[in-house]
Amino acid sequence: MALGTMSAQITDFSNRADPYPLYAALRKSPVTRQDDGSYLVSTYYEVRSLANDPRLSNDLRNRAPGAGGPAVAEEDTNLPPSFLFHDPPEHDRLRNTTMRPFGPPHSPRFLHDMRDDIARIITDLLDALDGKDEVDVVEDFAYPLPVTAICRILGVPREDEPRFHGWADIVASVLDPSQGKEKVQDARRELGAYLSDLIEAKRRHPGSGILGPLAQETGPNGSMSTAELASTSMLLLIAGHETTVNLISNATLTLLRHPDILKRFQTEPGLVVPLVEEVLRYEPPVQFIPFTVALSDIDIAGTTIPKGAQVWLLLASANRDPKRFEDPDRFDPDREDNQHLGFYTGIHYCFGAPLARMEAQLALPHLFRRIKNPRLMADPPPYRANPVLRGPRHLPVAIDGLAA
Amino acid sequence: MRLVVDLNRCQGFAQCAFLAPDVFVLHGGEALLFTSRFDEGLRDQVEQAAAACPVQAVLVDFSDEPAKGAEGHVG
Ligand code: HEM
Ligand code: SF4
Repeated sequence: MALGTMSAQITDFSNRADPYPLYAALRKSPVTRQDDGSYLVSTYYEVRSLANDPRLSNDLRNRAPGAGGPAVAEEDTNLPPSFLFHDPPEHDRLRNTTMRPFGPPHSPRFLHDMRDDIARIITDLLDALDGKDEVDVVEDFAYPLPVTAICRILGVPREDEPRFHGWADIVASVLDPSQGKEKVQDARRELGAYLSDLIEAKRRHPGSGILGPLAQETGPNGSMSTAELASTSMLLLIAGHETTVNLISNATLTLLRHPDILKRFQTEPGLVVPLVEEVLRYEPPVQFIPFTVALSDIDIAGTTIPKGAQVWLLLASANRDPKRFEDPDRFDPDREDNQHLGFYTGIHYCFGAPLARMEAQLALPHLFRRIKNPRLMADPPPYRANPVLRGPRHLPVAIDGLAA
Repeated sequence: MRLVVDLNRCQGFAQCAFLAPDVFVLHGGEALLFTSRFDEGLRDQVEQAAAACPVQAVLVDFSDEPAKGAEGHVG
């Protein structure tokens, strides 16, 4: 499928390692119309305002017939769309139901109580690096951590975890506007069938994790159907697999590229808190949202986005907008008032943000305390194909062994 | 040490209540309650909550000045 000129360049793999010059060029005008009729929004205040605008929809069924732009829908007749692809009131019903066992107001301590579990997973992964003088931070650490964590949070049996990896990898490629959709359909079907069986089993034996209590919601008086819970679980699984890995890898890469900050971090582990926020601004794991749809004509920054048009919100570009962030291309963990859009904003603000933050805030100090004298072996490292969920495919780092 | 939530900024994202459940409590899905005085033991939680607030509405003073009000409330 032909993409508009700029969007084609953004998705072009050769720009994956450094898309930021493209964003800088785009920011010359806040809203850019593509040849295919889609619109790219690149500046901070315009992205934020549209994120909070009820005239912008996440529901792909609102796209005008024959509208241009890449098809990135969960176009699938087996399962209903997840709440990411719903507008209110359905979005709120599904999101609020899912929140009940996961966070406040009903379960304010659920995640907090997972801290020790997550720290344990981290220690086990790092212990396994003993004796190595080269590690792949992605394969050995940043990928297995969130995978294990999200499986624990959902309550997926450990022995089933390996089967997920393949499915999740493929299903997450729906967010890649340049990918075909056939393989995705098959993977979604298999994963959907597995999850429906698991929900059935959890209805009788809830076990640990949030799927048990959510399975209870699928009864006659509950607030979601089994199919809705299956697609919600799929969303959580994929979001848990394919995003946090990039936060940890991007943070590691950025620290290794900034030796002064790394040195400071090694003696001042509390720096991780603002540092993670700055990575979310500077190298956001979700680069852009390519699928929102205008429900009516929207006048913004001198442009009218027509009803039915597809709108791309370029979070990574907004995060480098010099009108909002001073010296935006500088990585600065001491930056004040860092209201980045790395987790988006408005009603679709990342559901898993507290989990992702907790994982990264625990993982990075442990990693950099244990690995001795880390050196990047390839800069830039090889990247994943996906331009939306962007991050290194491998991150080879040479080390002088492991501290106790 | 004490904190205050800027009422005009807070949009109820609840990020603070996830990361510092001993300090911030979401009441009925609407109101945010918080303890404005806290001690060293809660410092990490408060730092994490303040950094995570998407609109940077949590304002923290880590000095040891005794504070006046003990409870805060955001509608
Ligand atoms: C660093 C890691 C992460 C980043 C950068 C991130 C980023 C985002 C962004 C930008 C959105 C908005 C998408 C949109 O509206 O189109 C989003 C939504 C979402 N995220 Fe995350 N995410 C991360 C980790 C997670 C994790 C670990 C989970 C699972 C527990 C998760 C679950 C979700 C869900 C369910 C939504 C949909 C929210 C809604 O539609 O209301 N995310 N995330
Ligand atoms: S203080 Fe910030 S994080 Fe807490 S509820 Fe308000 S907006 Fe959300």
